[in-house]
Amino acid sequence: MTSPTEALVSRRVASSRRSPIELIRTGLSELISRRQLTRYLVGAELKRTHADTAFGQLWWILDPLLQMGVYYILVSVIFHRDTPDFPLFLFVAILPWKWFSTTLNEATLSVTGHNSLIRQIRFPKIILPSAAVVAGTVSFGFGLVALAMVYVFYLHRLSWWILAFPVIAMVQLVFTLSLGILFSALNAFFRDIQNVLRHVLRLWFYLSPGLYSLDSVVKDHPTAAFLLSLNPFAVLFHSYRDVTWGTTAPDWLGLGAVFAFSIVLLGLSVLVFKRVEPAFARILA
Amino acid sequence: MDEGGIVAGPPAVSVTDLGIRYDLRLTKRTTLKGSIAGMVRRSGSVDTDFWAIRHLTFSLQHGESLAVIGPNGAGKSTLLLALAGILEPSEGEVMTTGRVSTLLTLGAGFEMDLTGRDNIDLAGAFMAIDRKVMADLSPAIVEFADIGQFIDAPVRTYSSGMRARLGFSIATAVTPDILLLDEVLGTGDQTFRARSQARVRELVEKARAIVLVTHDLTFVTEFCNRAILVEKGRIIREGGPAEIVDLYRERVARQKLLAEEEARRLAAGATASSTGG
Repeated sequence: MTSPTEALVSRRVASSRRSPIELIRTGLSELISRRQLTRYLVGAELKRTHADTAFGQLWWILDPLLQMGVYYILVSVIFHRDTPDFPLFLFVAILPWKWFSTTLNEATLSVTGHNSLIRQIRFPKIILPSAAVVAGTVSFGFGLVALAMVYVFYLHRLSWWILAFPVIAMVQLVFTLSLGILFSALNAFFRDIQNVLRHVLRLWFYLSPGLYSLDSVVKDHPTAAFLLSLNPFAVLFHSYRDVTWGTTAPDWLGLGAVFAFSIVLLGLSVLVFKRVEPAFARILA
Repeated sequence: MDEGGIVAGPPAVSVTDLGIRYDLRLTKRTTLKGSIAGMVRRSGSVDTDFWAIRHLTFSLQHGESLAVIGPNGAGKSTLLLALAGILEPSEGEVMTTGRVSTLLTLGAGFEMDLTGRDNIDLAGAFMAIDRKVMADLSPAIVEFADIGQFIDAPVRTYSSGMRARLGFSIATAVTPDILLLDEVLGTGDQTFRARSQARVRELVEKARAIVLVTHDLTFVTEFCNRAILVEKGRIIREGGPAEIVDLYRERVARQKLLAEEEARRLAAGATASSTGG
């Protein structure tokens, strides 16, 4: 219980407009200072998403494996594309993509999904999309077990470059977080986003070199290949593939560019989020 | 509690020229199509702003309990949301000193798939209460909520009364310095009503400030030492609970009389026109 000697915390809320730098700084410091809340929300999210399935978290291993099977049949049996060790080639793109797409979906719904809470307790709302991203990342960590299982069949593809895998994942994490924060805020105003997102994500995956390599596009369509290479996931997929399937160094330059872009985007997203945050309680009745 | 006592520190709540504006264009379930259509239709002439409350000024010392009364749609709940810091002022300012706890819609914020126990932890995290402190409080919360073994079952399986009890128990367990209550004391069964009223009385006695929105006028005169009457987002009068309750009753009676008169006139008009035609 509160001891009588404890200093009372004063809070002053006035109608004011704060500067962009101040908003970004507040947003980021909220993320750091409310780690406990993030932790609990991540736990809640993990319990919620798999509470009603018999296999629970095991789906994070099964799902990408099954997906890989589907694409394997589609690409190599139906289209007769021949890539050596194709299952591994596919899997190192499918798994990070599942991480990205499910996380972005969850993050987008995070603010609207907590509408009653937003009208009941005062708390930094930026925790909501962030917790969704962290929860997705924990599940992804679990999904890496599936990657290890696939690797067992392709041990000759294992090299020290696999150690660069977490670096690539880190870049993807920042990119996902920035989009998640942005979309969760926008979705509070335009529910269309949650509907459109699914289709955009599907198209995005096919435009990213997940089932193919951009090298195979370059020969016939150099312009198209160049445009596709501007996609952050072109860099990410190729890098994941380099350090696993290719046993080579990742595209450091490309990764650096995606990272720099993601950091700028994160700043902008936090700014947008903090700007519109006061409106959440008004519109989510 | 008496006005002549030692004035210790800043008031618990200080509201200065507070205004909360809703933008009617941004109501729930906006879609891109709707808002584009809205932009086209709205050619600047239609007023899309709605002031739920405006020009409110009052303050509250620790130890006082203030009742906010008024008809539906007067802005009472909006005022509580502003005091809780959930709604930011569109105008003016709100200053609070001490920990604010809200009991606005009991149990509405629970995660349905988590157990009652998990929800207690989660609520603690939302209220930024240290985990260790929350662990100490947890047994008392469970005991007061009196939901037995359901505490380890998902909240989804609770009755609305159980949810309300758990919500009340959590919000009052942390001994808030400022407690905001919105029409909650009428919920639950008779036993829990009695117990929750006892808890509120206890909190008042511990020199905590309370702001209460209720239609239970006997509760106002019994529990509160001040009251404000709010109508259409403005304070009509501020004073002792008995005085304000009387004023409110009077106004309600007058309103009712006017409405009856209006109805009689309309009915008379209808008969006149029907006999005439």
